[in-house]
Amino acid sequence: MGSGTQNSDSAGGDGATSGFLPIELRAVSKSFAGIKVVSNVSFDIRPGEVHALMGENGAGKSTMIKIMAGLHQADEGDILVNGKVVKFASPKDAHAAGIATVHQELLLFPELTVAENIFLGQTPKTAMGLIDWQAMRVRARDLLNSLDSHDLDIDQKVASLSVGNRQRIEIARALAQDARVLIMDEPTAALAEADVQRLMAIVRNLCARGVAIVYVSHRMPEIFALANRVTVLRDGQHVATKPVSEVDEAKLVSMMVGRSIDRLYPPKQGENGNVALELRKVSFGKVVRDISFSLRYGEILGLAGLVGSGRTETALTIFGITPPTSGDILVDGKPQVISSPEAARDLGIAYVPEDRGQQGLIKAQSIEDNIALANLRRLMRGIFVDAARVTEEARKAITRFGIRARGPEQLVRQLSGGNQQKVVLGKWLATNPRILIMDEPTRGIDVGAKAEIHQLMRKLAGEGMAILMISSELPEVLGMSDRVLVMGGGRVVAEFDKAHATAEAVGAEMTRSDARDAA
Amino acid sequence: MTLSRLLRHETILAVLTVIALIVLASLSDKFFTTENLLNQGRLMSEVGLVALAMTFVIVTGGIDLSVGSILGLTAILLGVFWKNLGLPLPAAIALAMLCGTFAGWVNGYIITRFNVPALIATLATLALYRGLAEGISQARSVRGYPEWFFFFGQGEVLGVPFQLWLLGIATVIAAVVLGLTPFGRATYAIGANETAARFSGIRVNATKLWIYSAAGFLSALAAVVFVSRVTTTRSDMGTGLELDVITGVVLGGTSIFGGRGTIIGTVLGLILIQALKNGLALSGVKGDGTIVVIGLVLIGAILVGALFDKNRGG
Repeated sequence: MGSGTQNSDSAGGDGATSGFLPIELRAVSKSFAGIKVVSNVSFDIRPGEVHALMGENGAGKSTMIKIMAGLHQADEGDILVNGKVVKFASPKDAHAAGIATVHQELLLFPELTVAENIFLGQTPKTAMGLIDWQAMRVRARDLLNSLDSHDLDIDQKVASLSVGNRQRIEIARALAQDARVLIMDEPTAALAEADVQRLMAIVRNLCARGVAIVYVSHRMPEIFALANRVTVLRDGQHVATKPVSEVDEAKLVSMMVGRSIDRLYPPKQGENGNVALELRKVSFGKVVRDISFSLRYGEILGLAGLVGSGRTETALTIFGITPPTSGDILVDGKPQVISSPEAARDLGIAYVPEDRGQQGLIKAQSIEDNIALANLRRLMRGIFVDAARVTEEARKAITRFGIRARGPEQLVRQLSGGNQQKVVLGKWLATNPRILIMDEPTRGIDVGAKAEIHQLMRKLAGEGMAILMISSELPEVLGMSDRVLVMGGGRVVAEFDKAHATAEAVGAEMTRSDARDAA
Repeated sequence: MTLSRLLRHETILAVLTVIALIVLASLSDKFFTTENLLNQGRLMSEVGLVALAMTFVIVTGGIDLSVGSILGLTAILLGVFWKNLGLPLPAAIALAMLCGTFAGWVNGYIITRFNVPALIATLATLALYRGLAEGISQARSVRGYPEWFFFFGQGEVLGVPFQLWLLGIATVIAAVVLGLTPFGRATYAIGANETAARFSGIRVNATKLWIYSAAGFLSALAAVVFVSRVTTTRSDMGTGLELDVITGVVLGGTSIFGGRGTIIGTVLGLILIQALKNGLALSGVKGDGTIVVIGLVLIGAILVGALFDKNRGG
């Protein structure tokens, strides 16, 4: 990574441009339903710089981006464009002020061509008021050429393009709007390594033309390779804005989490026991291929890999949602046929799924109904559900996990993300599992709840539970796991023990496997 | 699941039903007589039996449009088994009901096995089962059943029509199963979020199969009562029944999107509709007028329900 090289060039530390900052935020605050998600945040974006916006999930990054893009309106504070206070009532106003966004989920029209997508809503017209197809195609070609994307066919339908190509179209679309600021929300989250390199080249190219980039990413190497300055948010507060040359990775992490990293992840307690779960050449179609590993009681096994590398699919195969098409799953050394989630549950396997809202919870129901759901058979009196015990069970979970709720009858959809996750955990721990699979256990929840869940995982492992953890957050994988498996293309491509699982080594395997898959 | 929350719609409905009964009683002195009310109960039983199962179906987020056709098919099979195949009548009844239940199971199988939306699957079987009924009957009706058979549709026990007892018992069973058992919990869970239910180890497909089979069974039971009441079997029996049934269930506060609804609500909805039909007819309102009133009541009840829902807050 070329850290430091960019800091000296175009980056605007020079006072000459300070009166014409593309965006300046002054003491911006925003609340939702009485909860302050962004509080008194001030920073500015200078022409031609890459400004990284960092923070944990729930730190307020998305809200800040949406305020800049005109999707949300700040409750307090000012936004200045070129030194003038502006009010963005809608994304349209932000566009007019030269601010464009490349969203995480790309917002293109798959059935339209590349050129049509680039100029949608700003189509060049002829004197007659009709679409000037000729001009549109010429300008689309020019724009893409200027992004070094000579290979993109402007007449192709977007539906047939890869994610990386679609992203370039989004960028071209922003340039067609004469954007002076381009907000990129986790642009590399879904990209293969080759596309990441290409995107970084485009970002540098844009900066050289004076476009300012607000770059949101969790990936440290990109931040150090691209960014000139970095702004860190934590719990909606502005922690600091610093030149990248003044920080290192550890410093950034501690700024983001507000404590030192070794206090964040609790240490291992106790020794590993017998093998709880063993997979022997387990496959499911083409998404899970020949997976073999074993998991011991008391162990936390981390499953790392990029999105789409087959981690969740492996979990679903173990849990009986998509039973294996070949291979053996052994629980306590005995081969088992796990053909459904109830079969998995009856073997003492619990799965806390990735998509909390869709898979984990029935949001329209109460906490007690949700906690009872996986455990109805144990909460019966005769043939009836014992309502008193259902409530009792929920009360226990609320106390045990510190769920902040009015009571067992409160609807789950009224809870915060962290508390919802604790309800999912409560539901599954009520089944007394011996093997716990946690898929993105702390995605989208605030820092405090995150630490609580990490503590809980350690405690459970200490009590002898076997835990398989899937996480896309590398620090979490490294901090929590006793052992790390890296997946790519549906296979296990590497294994690291605690001592050898470094960010560089695991990260390299994650991306290498991805390139291998593409080849 | 707090009872007060679930009962809110039912409370409104109960008040509405009482008001309707008072108004109708004041419009016609023939309405509020024991004889008339019991007779209305008799007329409501067939729709009522099917509506119990339909409540489960709709609570899972599904729908069963084929219940009227299953009723017609069962009725025809009953007649054919007895008259044309010469089976003893009790055996014919049992076999016909088995076929009706199987027809319901087939609905469930198509829906769960091939992931076909319930609306489409049962729209297809609505046509299929009715077509079978018509093909088998060859447009001939079956009559001449022995006297004892008419007990199911016309007889009385302790002064109350037999089918009202049947409906009463079925209602209690349905209410207990939906409200108090793990099966009921599973039914609500599937309707509120099928994926989460599956991920929680709920046997989603098995639950649905049971429910659609039960819809078939209760439609078949309704068919026996119907044939016994009208003393003849015709292939067009039960045409349009599904709409009366669904109207009752939805009026009873069951969410068409699934996840919410109660048996008490369904029963209240049925009573309200039957009372309106009968009361308005007795007070000289023509058939078309009655349908308009029922439509308005349905819309009104749903609007009031939505209003309360909003007030309850996010």
